[in-house]
Amino acid sequence: MPKIISIHSFRGGTGKSNMTANIASSLALHGKRVGIVDTDIQSPGIHVLFGMDEENMTRALNDYLWGECLIEDTAYIVTPPPVKEAGGTIYLIPSSIKPGEIARVLREGYDVARLIDGIRQLVDRLKLDYLLIDTHPGLNEETLLSITISDALVVILRPDNQDYQGTAVTVELARQLEVPKMFLLVNKVPAAFDREQVREKVAKTYNAQVAGVIQLTDEVVRLASGGVFCLLYPDHPVAKQIRGIADLIVA
Amino acid sequence: MPASTRDDLAALVKATKAAASPFRTYLNQLHQRFASVKDGKPADYIPELARANPDLFGISVVTTDGKTFNAGDTAQTFTIQSISKPFVYGLALEKHGRDFVNTKVGVEPTGDAFNSLIRLDEKSKRPHNPMINAGAIATAGLIHGADSTDRLKQMLEMFRKYINHEPQVDVSVFVSEKTTGHRNRAIGHLMLNFGMIDPNVDETLDLYFQQCSILVTSQDLAMIAATLANKGINPVSGERAIEARYVRDILSVMHTCGMYDYSGNWAYSVGLPAKSGVGGGIIAVVPGKLGIGIFSPPLDERGNSVRGIKVCQALVEDLGLHIFDCEAKASELMPV
Repeated sequence: MPKIISIHSFRGGTGKSNMTANIASSLALHGKRVGIVDTDIQSPGIHVLFGMDEENMTRALNDYLWGECLIEDTAYIVTPPPVKEAGGTIYLIPSSIKPGEIARVLREGYDVARLIDGIRQLVDRLKLDYLLIDTHPGLNEETLLSITISDALVVILRPDNQDYQGTAVTVELARQLEVPKMFLLVNKVPAAFDREQVREKVAKTYNAQVAGVIQLTDEVVRLASGGVFCLLYPDHPVAKQIRGIADLIVA
Repeated sequence: MPASTRDDLAALVKATKAAASPFRTYLNQLHQRFASVKDGKPADYIPELARANPDLFGISVVTTDGKTFNAGDTAQTFTIQSISKPFVYGLALEKHGRDFVNTKVGVEPTGDAFNSLIRLDEKSKRPHNPMINAGAIATAGLIHGADSTDRLKQMLEMFRKYINHEPQVDVSVFVSEKTTGHRNRAIGHLMLNFGMIDPNVDETLDLYFQQCSILVTSQDLAMIAATLANKGINPVSGERAIEARYVRDILSVMHTCGMYDYSGNWAYSVGLPAKSGVGGGIIAVVPGKLGIGIFSPPLDERGNSVRGIKVCQALVEDLGLHIFDCEAKASELMPV
């Protein structure tokens, strides 16, 4: 059973953080303990989906990376009510949104190996069933390391030629890094597209399993990251689809 | 994909896998655990070694598939000292073959200290083994060349293949060893007296002092050890440093004679071919798997690095590396 799952996309704007929050919530709805680490230190964002802002974020992943606290000290319980009712728990380890902290990371860098140690410690110390890593778009050292320690990798892309090319790079590296399971997830597919055709094309291009092809719907756009879609619209076809994808990833 | 891109990609993948390996975390913990050990003191027979900072401590491991793991002061240079001995022995074997070298230096452990003077087997006209100073000087005498520069060049070229970069000789340590090396000079001349080595003994002693003064890091040591573990081929460059058939000669003398008068105890408790130097270095070889290089200047009374010994003992225990351990389970920590 995969414990550590990296969610990645080669380019920004694919809906990676949104998808991470939705997959995490879908897993937690089974009464599981799920952690999410925002390793997108340069452009953090997933905390927004769980209603966090600068005000209620006293500690962040950055503090751990600077050696100022333990990794578990940076974990916030952000379990949304429907997940709580189902007996699940969601922990979020956010990255700092303070401009000074982001500047410090860019200027000084940090010991990436420490991040890897922290991720492993989180799984043990918070007794997590699953840990999802929301990675920085593109390939950098922390993304490669995250992929390497993951039991499964989900690569998100849009039906767009720039995404297609970039994704090929990620897929090639992930194969060489021998990640045990890899899934492609096509997101933000316009309603005019034939989803089955898209699935076939993507599967053939990368010779990899396509976990899902998700249509861009008005409801998702209107929600504008104001919450976790799957929990707010549990009966929407997209929500059902994402729940199926979550089950597939951890099968 | 062009070959260069493939190489870059392969190197990136290798580095990433090493960094993500639980072994890296383990090595850091090992470093933390033994950094607090304050026993022993640096060698003091020359001021250059006595000045070594006793807190410096580096642990490096290189696997036979070229993954490199470092913890602590692994880029700190120090002089290789006696760790050079098995490799010059290897070079002599390549130049002259096993039979001839066997007539010049034996393979019998003496149980004596590293600087023992008197054990020269007059009957066989050869020192007992190439790991004690007498044997190492006799071995250096087998590295023939046009002149002293040529002899040094050959030796440095041999070390380059093991460490994968140009080796440097620490001039102040060399001069210091040369001007105060009365005991080694005496050993050399005594062997000359018995007809055990060639007459150009002063040139040979210079070469010996130079070989001991080569600067290395713990990472270099791990690379050297990994090259032996990898049948004589440097696992990162792919270059052969020693003919495969002589790897067993080197490892055998390391196993029986590598740790001075602690060799028997070492073979029993650690069970890995190893070699220590008074500069604070230790190498240990796990054939087919990995090479270990440790640097920590404080030595015990036998001239072996205190922390170096402890680290090797812990690695053997935790990973089940003793070569004769038939009950060792494959450790999850094993980086290969």
